[in-house]
Amino acid sequence: MSNYLILATIIFTIGAAGVIIRKNLIVVFMSLELMFNSANLGFVAVSNALNLVSGDIFVIFVMVVAAAEAAVALGIAIAFYREKGTADIDEASELKN
Amino acid sequence: MEALFYIFSFIAIFSALMVISMKNPLTSALYLILCFFAFSGFYVMLDMQFLAVMQILVYAGAIMVLVVLVIMILNISKIKRVETDFHQKFIGILISLIIFVEIIFYIINGSQKKSTGIFTGAVIKKIGNTQIIGEFLFTKYTLSFEIASVLLFVAIIGAYIFAKKKF
Repeated sequence: MSNYLILATIIFTIGAAGVIIRKNLIVVFMSLELMFNSANLGFVAVSNALNLVSGDIFVIFVMVVAAAEAAVALGIAIAFYREKGTADIDEASELKN
Repeated sequence: MEALFYIFSFIAIFSALMVISMKNPLTSALYLILCFFAFSGFYVMLDMQFLAVMQILVYAGAIMVLVVLVIMILNISKIKRVETDFHQKFIGILISLIIFVEIIFYIINGSQKKSTGIFTGAVIKKIGNTQIIGEFLFTKYTLSFEIASVLLFVAIIGAYIFAKKKF
């Protein structure tokens, strides 16, 4: 089990680094998907080791939430691009200035 | 099994690194699809074939097609690329390393619980994991199932309103 958990941690770390480092809206969104997936892998590994299926059910709900989030987030991306003419997230600084 | 695990984890880590380091978002999207396929390999090794199929259908199929479509709509090659400055890269790598060390610390020092469930690999193979998941979804987790359907309905309306020409 701990092999899978360490692998999930590595992928989660890469996704977190991507969210902080990258400036493109779409790439930030894809890094978020990486973090979702590493959490899913952790759920499945733990419920496999404990002989349960609750973790697997939870993964299905995480997939539902990820699909809903993808639809809304990409709608926001289109609206953002239409408003600003760019996909750079540093342009969204109205609340700061 | 052990060798397969290392091969798949190499593919997953390599493609995840490529996702965050490629300049073109379309290349990142294709590497992300490769990463999802590696993850579905892990699910097969953990006795959950249903989740492996769902991973490919929902993630690599539906969500990534949506992402590639939006990349096409945004016409990303005409947008000028912004480079991240060194300061932000340093801070990002530092923060993610701190997260990594913290989680690894708890994984290594934590004690593993005794397995309490009845669903061992042999039982899952005998009943079939689609049937087990279906029974749990419609008995113990019925309320969550209904809420998930409401959530998807709200997401449809939200996506339509956000992507409309004028609010």
